[in-house]
Amino acid sequence: MALSKVGVVATAQTEFRPAWNNAQHIDLISSVVTSVFKGSGLTIDDVDFIIDSGSDVLDGRSISNCGFLGALGAHHKEEARVEEDGLWAALYGVNKIRAGSSSVGLIVAYSKPSESNVDLYWNAQVEPFYQRPVGFGQRAANGIMAQRYLADSGLSSRDLADLVADRWAAAAASGKVSIDALPDADAVLAAKEGAAPLTELMFARPVDGAVAVLIAREDIARRVSRNPAFITGMGTSMDTHSVAAREAGRLSSAATAAAMAYRNAGWTSADADIAEISGSSVIGELLAIEALGLAAAGKGLSATRDGKVAINRSGGALPADPIMATGLVRLAEASRQLSQPETSSGGAPSRAIVHGAGGVGMQNNCVFTLEV
Amino acid sequence: MFSAPDSYPIDLPTFHSEINLPYTLTPGRAAGIFLAEVKNRRIVASRFASGQVVAPAQDFSSTNGEEPEAFVEAPQTGVLTAFTRVDGHVIGFIRLDGCDNDFAHRILAELDDIAIGQRVEAEWDDSVEQSVLAIKGFRIAPDAPVGTVKPLETMEEPLGVIPYAMKLDYEHAYGPYYGRMFDEIRENGRFMGVRSPGSDIALLPPREIDDVTHGRTGTWKACADTGTIRGCSIINMEVYGQTRKVPYVYAEIVLDGASTRMIHVIEIDSLEEAKERIKPGTRVRAVWTQGERQGRVSDIERFEVIEG
Repeated sequence: MALSKVGVVATAQTEFRPAWNNAQHIDLISSVVTSVFKGSGLTIDDVDFIIDSGSDVLDGRSISNCGFLGALGAHHKEEARVEEDGLWAALYGVNKIRAGSSSVGLIVAYSKPSESNVDLYWNAQVEPFYQRPVGFGQRAANGIMAQRYLADSGLSSRDLADLVADRWAAAAASGKVSIDALPDADAVLAAKEGAAPLTELMFARPVDGAVAVLIAREDIARRVSRNPAFITGMGTSMDTHSVAAREAGRLSSAATAAAMAYRNAGWTSADADIAEISGSSVIGELLAIEALGLAAAGKGLSATRDGKVAINRSGGALPADPIMATGLVRLAEASRQLSQPETSSGGAPSRAIVHGAGGVGMQNNCVFTLEV
Repeated sequence: MFSAPDSYPIDLPTFHSEINLPYTLTPGRAAGIFLAEVKNRRIVASRFASGQVVAPAQDFSSTNGEEPEAFVEAPQTGVLTAFTRVDGHVIGFIRLDGCDNDFAHRILAELDDIAIGQRVEAEWDDSVEQSVLAIKGFRIAPDAPVGTVKPLETMEEPLGVIPYAMKLDYEHAYGPYYGRMFDEIRENGRFMGVRSPGSDIALLPPREIDDVTHGRTGTWKACADTGTIRGCSIINMEVYGQTRKVPYVYAEIVLDGASTRMIHVIEIDSLEEAKERIKPGTRVRAVWTQGERQGRVSDIERFEVIEG
């Protein structure tokens, strides 16, 4: 029996804010789980399984999904937690439906980094004998990647700041991200040092929020949704834990994940109309653009300008990084741009590339292709 | 949002919480020997069958999982291959002479004074033992001669365990429902829940969405501070993280008017007596703390059995 095709039926997300001080995790989660069904005709009773992503370390409790089951709508349902970005939760869910064991799945990811210390969250992921004591962590990894990238590409800090400012402006225009003061390139350059040569504003900004994505087998997706985006390719690949041992100047695991997804889809990056890409810093985003085949090495910045493939029209991860949910937000953004082109001014795209990442220095990468 | 958080502005502070986790980390053979050998001012590396040398020592190749054929001594000199600065500390990748990987460590120089390709050498810190920080960092050494990897004929026993602690601080938001519940505890000394959809029985703690039906919950309802034990266990064993002296009873109590179990404790004097008196079905009442209430579950000091 052929594998089933899987479509995105509906998406919902909260506003992304530096801090949702007046909401708990369960408030954010139940909000998106309730909203995602609106207008679809489906209810929580139609959902066969729920897969969620979040971080116990950020949440400050062990197996934190156990306390969130009710808000997730998972009471007496099959539920699984993926301790990685929500795009992997979607990968898991899509495969369950493709394999024929289920027909409707709910994928949820959430984040409240405002309640915790994000540096400590990343430190907890670093090797404890050799690296943690010397202060090598997420920021140092990105700083080293950036120092190498600038040396190799000939770009300046000003070039990076221009891209960051564009991303924040796009996020502000989307209305989905809370931004008090929109930084221009000068403000990006003037921000405090994050990890030389990167300023703090050149790093993805941690934000609170939640996202839900309802997926279904093709026949159900077509019945329920006017113009569902179908997931036609998926790939995932993890690099070695040691940042120093990875290929310098290239996100090899993102390239491997992309090759896997494009092979499934039967097309490649040149055929895409839009791309929604994650990055733990502006350098991470540029390296991801190149690894996904959207630009040659060192040319990621020009790919963001030439308009061949519209990259991160949502603003991407730099202005809004709900850690563990960022990749699933990219999937939600891309599927809306494909399914409801009326709601965003970008023509009528038909193919999208979606990218999520996890780990220190973007060790782990996941790529989806979407089509309408 | 579905309905609540923005429509109920609240000005409660966040709830501070700490997680302190003690660990005894096991470094294994390679890192164990490396950390034991720093007192001899030696940098232990791994040599693989391919001839590759990796420093600091690893039990497995991080790229292909291969085990090393020998531990060797790496030279204390090398070349800077990448660098950054985080919180004022310069951190770099160092390719030690004769080695095939980069060693991440501190660079003892100002950012403006360093460049890729510069020669560096290790500077030791006599006050540090059993840590990679026994190497204080690497200083710029333009004239340092190129070192060679040497065999390690004898070596220290690997360190067995390394004590380690992780402390994580949190500022948890209450949200509108927990916010009102704790407000009511503090201001009025009462437990407020919300009604289950289509029912008069309250859910405690209150929430916007019913866990079972995923329907919207109903109006607020005050519950009594008396209730019935529905599950309990006499705790007579000391474990890490306990906040009370044993013995005591851990009890799941359904307050009158509520449908959900609340976890609290009942103090006891005698184990034998507790076994007789405290069991599912036993009626209990809250004993509130003396003095000003804080708006916490601990405003109830304990529960006690209602006699008769």
